[in-house]
Amino acid sequence: MTLTSSTERRASERVGRAVRGGRRLALRVIGAVVVLWGAATAAFLAQIALPGDRATAIFNIRAGQAQERTPEELAPIVDAFGLDDPVLLQYLHYIGGLLRGDLGTSYQQFRPVWDLIGEQLAATLTLTLAGIVLSWILMVAWVTLTAGRGGRFRNVGAAVDTIAAALPPYWLGILLLLVFALWLGWFPVMGGSGLIGILLPALTLAIPLAGFMGQSVRAEYEHTLDQPFVLSARMRGMGDLSVRLRHVLRHASLPAVTLTGWALGATISGAVIVEQIYSRPGIGKTLVSAVGAQDLPVVTGVVVLVAALYVVANVLVDIAYTLIDSRLRTS
Amino acid sequence: MASSRIRRTLTAASAAAMLSMLAACSQAAAAAPQDDDTIVYAHQQEPQCLFGGWIEQAYISYQFLDNLFSLDENGEAVPWLAEDWSRSEDGLTYTIDLQSGVSFTDGTPVDAEAVAYNFDYWVAGGNSTAQVWLGGYYESAEAIDDLTVEVHLSRPYTRFIENLTQSYFGIQSQHALETRTDEENCRAPIGSGAFVVDEWNRGENVILTRNDDYTSPPANARHDGPAYVKTIDWRFIPEGITRVSALKAGEADAIYDIPAVEWADVDEGGYELHKYVTPGRPQQVSFNTTRAPFDEEDVRKAFILSLDRKKIVEAVGYGVIPYEGNGAISRATPGYDEGAAERYAFDPDEANALLDAAGWDERDEQGYRVRDGERLEAVFPYDAGTIINADGASIFQAVQEQARETGFKVDLIPVAASDTWSGAYSTPDSYDLKAGYWTSVNAGILYINWRQSTEDNPNFANSAFYDDPELESIIEQANSAGDIDDQNALYGEAQEYIADHATSFGLYDRLSTLGVSPRLAGVWQEHAQGGPTFYDAHFVD
Repeated sequence: MTLTSSTERRASERVGRAVRGGRRLALRVIGAVVVLWGAATAAFLAQIALPGDRATAIFNIRAGQAQERTPEELAPIVDAFGLDDPVLLQYLHYIGGLLRGDLGTSYQQFRPVWDLIGEQLAATLTLTLAGIVLSWILMVAWVTLTAGRGGRFRNVGAAVDTIAAALPPYWLGILLLLVFALWLGWFPVMGGSGLIGILLPALTLAIPLAGFMGQSVRAEYEHTLDQPFVLSARMRGMGDLSVRLRHVLRHASLPAVTLTGWALGATISGAVIVEQIYSRPGIGKTLVSAVGAQDLPVVTGVVVLVAALYVVANVLVDIAYTLIDSRLRTS
Repeated sequence: MASSRIRRTLTAASAAAMLSMLAACSQAAAAAPQDDDTIVYAHQQEPQCLFGGWIEQAYISYQFLDNLFSLDENGEAVPWLAEDWSRSEDGLTYTIDLQSGVSFTDGTPVDAEAVAYNFDYWVAGGNSTAQVWLGGYYESAEAIDDLTVEVHLSRPYTRFIENLTQSYFGIQSQHALETRTDEENCRAPIGSGAFVVDEWNRGENVILTRNDDYTSPPANARHDGPAYVKTIDWRFIPEGITRVSALKAGEADAIYDIPAVEWADVDEGGYELHKYVTPGRPQQVSFNTTRAPFDEEDVRKAFILSLDRKKIVEAVGYGVIPYEGNGAISRATPGYDEGAAERYAFDPDEANALLDAAGWDERDEQGYRVRDGERLEAVFPYDAGTIINADGASIFQAVQEQARETGFKVDLIPVAASDTWSGAYSTPDSYDLKAGYWTSVNAGILYINWRQSTEDNPNFANSAFYDDPELESIIEQANSAGDIDDQNALYGEAQEYIADHATSFGLYDRLSTLGVSPRLAGVWQEHAQGGPTFYDAHFVD
């Protein structure tokens, strides 16, 4: 009897956990949908609010002359894209398209926004992921080297974090380009999408990010160094480096993991600048040129996509959290 | 054990990153000399489609579309797809004879029907610049037989054939235009040119590959048959300094638009420099003649007299950018009038006298002139980055400074691309000064820029909003004049008229410049707009 009841109890616990898990998942999905809908709406409204007339912009870009246009000239464009529909109708049409997975057609390139973004996405993701990996390497190396050391060393470490975190990406990018590509000639000037070309752009993203993560990791790191389990590890005869990497880093890295989720979004916006400086293709550059061309479907498409990446990144961060800190799994 | 798994993954990830970086570095170090079959050309702006009415589109479509005629270095139209042409007595019918045996790269023939179709396609909006050139004159085009096209005009246009040499008039496959999607015709137009569009990696480059069956070079090309190089890697590099550095580092074989400040340095580096002064409307500033303060002719004159334009352009342009005094057409345009160009020299005393006489005789505490409590103020938006480059912006800043001396407050407003194209500063109530150029091969551009705007036939390209029947009539007579000397005299009269009424003033001539590596020979600038021609280009050791 006891055996059966304990099995039942375990079963009901499992059901309870599954229900809680299911509810948490449902809340997450709803939250994600709300975020995406908000981003899509904000992007749409921002574009509608831009001064000037979209049909004129479409015509002028095709013509290469910026001037006023007659209604007759603009009529085919207005018809083709439904630009004279009430804004609400345009909005519903747009949201309806999103629900069907249709991001619309570019005003300028006459092709589906999906194709356009798909073509550019890989280059940007490669850049941002390389940037994040590099920033982790820089941050871990620098914090491990300097945190909790004697006075001056430690101060220099913290100061470098602060300075790095505050470096403006445009300035940093130009500086790296000037020094390493133009002056020293170690890297190509026109990086393009090639593998060689990625290091300087990735560094431009990684250095401020490493500084930013370093700031939050450092305090935690120094706090952890004083914990009893660190002392006991040392007493077991573990070397300093091994203690730092194996025990301390694991505890101290949680804030940086959280920041990485945020960083994925931040580096994608940072890519806008970096792609311009280094003449790389990517969605950042696509976004800039689409804003310039008032190509609304492309702008909103990129915004929705970046929002989606944010959402996915945050889910991944939650998972990483539970993996690193096993207490979260049982609680 | 989760922790060790994470650590392993982290270590693996960082190791992978390190490895790829090392690989990247060694690859950079071992970069072989460039492939002799590929020209790497760094251009500046990337268009949205490869064919259209913008000069950036003309530059690239020239590589893969042939025109009916080509302009030679003397400004004469010479055969290209067309062998010959003739004009009827009344000047209303042009008969154009095509070369036989030429095919588009989709295999369809370049015949009279396809050519006639292209005319109607441009006029229907397929090319908005071709459309304004033909507007007011073109009536119809018809195929008489396989290789003969007749173009009918509603009134004579003496330099009609010359106009057809700009790449806006590149001939495309009728079959491609009719059967393919807009997207396909945007991405890879089909012509009969020396190269074909192979691939467009947006944001990065266009790969053009040789048309091995090419038989139709223009009469002013330097060889026959297919091009020498197999591929052109046409990159888009917006930053001038990056383009120049790429040339110096040997990464690019040719680059477009060398910033004036880099010119001497590139020259000393042993690179071949090409400079083409664009004919047509120069970089000029027109006055909005419909509202105060520039609705008064004397105030317009005073503004021009306030400026030492020559000095400004020389200072900013390092002697590379030519000063242009003529507000109507540039010195590279046939029929250019020197008198109109020299009408206004720097004369602040005269400027002050004119302003005093016009009632702008008080100054406020900042030194700006005031009349009836109104400040002498002018809104001057300019299209930064799209139509006006960095050198142009510096020139406008100097204009602003100098005009301040005589008491003008100039509000210089850089306009971002999205506002530029949406026409944010294009209406009579939005600006006082407007800068801009418009390339053309002859003074017929005057008709486009100065024709009156009417209810039935508005002309928003008249950026001075200056509707003057007399000026329009002079220009129309010039366009239709049978004799070239008569025509030039009439175009001269129109330029004098524009100078007399001070409706616009010139600043500098727009340039099209190229820098070419000594490894690459045979690059030249085509004569209709100054874009690069790679058909004759080949590598030398």
